[in-house]
Amino acid sequence: MQRSLRQIVAFGGGGFSMESGNPLLDDYVLGLATRNPERPRVCFLPSASGDADHYVVRFYRAFPADRCEASHVSLFRREQGPEDLREHLLSQDLIYVGGGSVISLLGVWRAHGVDEILRDAWEAGVVLCGLSAGSLCWFREAVTGFHGQPRRVEGLGLLPFSNCVHYEPGSDRRLAYHELLRAGMRSGYAAEDGAALHFVGAELSRVVASRPQARGYRLDALGDRVVEMRIATTFLGDGPGFAPLVPVPEAISTAAAA
Amino acid sequence: MTSRILALGGHEFTSRPPDRAVSELMLRLATERAGGRPKICILPTASGDTTDQIGSFYSVFGERACDPSDLSLFRLGRRPVALRDHLLGQDLIYVGGGSLVNLVAVWEAHDLGALLSLAWRRGIVLAGQSAGAMCWFEAGITKSSGRPAVAAGLGLLGGSLCVHYNNEPERRAAYLAAVGDGMPGGYGLDDHAGLLWEGGGPPSALTARRGARAYRVASREGGVSEEPIPARFLPAPAPATLREDIAEFRRIAGMRKRAGWLG
Repeated sequence: MQRSLRQIVAFGGGGFSMESGNPLLDDYVLGLATRNPERPRVCFLPSASGDADHYVVRFYRAFPADRCEASHVSLFRREQGPEDLREHLLSQDLIYVGGGSVISLLGVWRAHGVDEILRDAWEAGVVLCGLSAGSLCWFREAVTGFHGQPRRVEGLGLLPFSNCVHYEPGSDRRLAYHELLRAGMRSGYAAEDGAALHFVGAELSRVVASRPQARGYRLDALGDRVVEMRIATTFLGDGPGFAPLVPVPEAISTAAAA
Repeated sequence: MTSRILALGGHEFTSRPPDRAVSELMLRLATERAGGRPKICILPTASGDTTDQIGSFYSVFGERACDPSDLSLFRLGRRPVALRDHLLGQDLIYVGGGSLVNLVAVWEAHDLGALLSLAWRRGIVLAGQSAGAMCWFEAGITKSSGRPAVAAGLGLLGGSLCVHYNNEPERRAAYLAAVGDGMPGGYGLDDHAGLLWEGGGPPSALTARRGARAYRVASREGGVSEEPIPARFLPAPAPATLREDIAEFRRIAGMRKRAGWLG
């Protein structure tokens, strides 16, 4: 049984939630569910949206029954879902976390013990993925822009880095992330919409993208300067048999405090 | 300023007479506090901020002499709100039903507990039904995990509360068992029955539906006692005269405007 790899795929943004008609990132994570390649078991956690009905419906459309055995867990309607959360989540091949408020997400998860279950699922080889709040949650520290003013939050800490999503040029989040790094936030990774960071264990294994230009970044603070390395990224739209690029720096820039 | 809490065993924002009577009471309490046109905010956290709960709130208060608003903690990405300023600027804060466990957890994550306690001490009326009523007590009986179980609230009011007392026998049974096992006693509330705390004394009971009751529940030697509390009847006001089609249009438009959450 091949379940030993601990894997997390953290999308800067994208997948069925944001890229209607572009299934490249969703196909990629589904392809990692190798235990049941014919019909992987995929569970959606929409907690960050407050378990919004329309979001759950869109998940089932994106992950139809002929491709996988899809389910979701609503922590606001436990009476309708699986009785044993732990058993259900540990039996999955892929757990997909939706976007929304990472602060609310973490509060609800802790209340139901889902934080512990997800750590155990990760250790057991269940692939974890998600976008936006569903990316931030896996890291030790993260930049949330959910309250307007971006600020620091502590995630589950499976990955010992910081994280920033929707890392678009000139965005408030990008500036806030640099500011937080200068103020002592640990080094980490950022991803633009359409880019996803694939970690095996606590190592970045590769960056993949559903859009040719989307990139992932490594960020470190050196004194009051922020060093940003753009990481070589594999575009998933080049057809089958792509050769994944190793995550080497493509470009390096440094920025001093504004 | 008198601290007030209105705990409801079950209430919805519909045009049915008992629901209208309770909504009218809330408007009156808010207006008294404001000394004029009040501000009323719904916190739909326990439901996961469903558009249904928010839409039904506006369908009732949107046409009345008040300024209604909603604070969706799951939608702050789209609609940033200064939580403290907004909440402390209200005359009445209404907390909707849903999962008590999630409600308390999400409030804690956003540091809302202390803020609501401050609002209460400042005389902002705190109201709510079901999970939104139990949250003010030390404990309640929730079905947040499927089966009825004890869960903690904020503890602004001592003791415990069990809601939907008439409608959900399994919840009542779990409450009586928990009080028998040593959980602090408190109250049972039927749907459309309520308890109003004003200042420090015991609460007054009210009912908007004939037969709906409030009970005092306490541990006694050899068992648990349930004693009905004499309640004041709240008559329903005359129905609103707004044309149905206009009301429907406004409701849908309001829900559309407020939908969307992705941050």
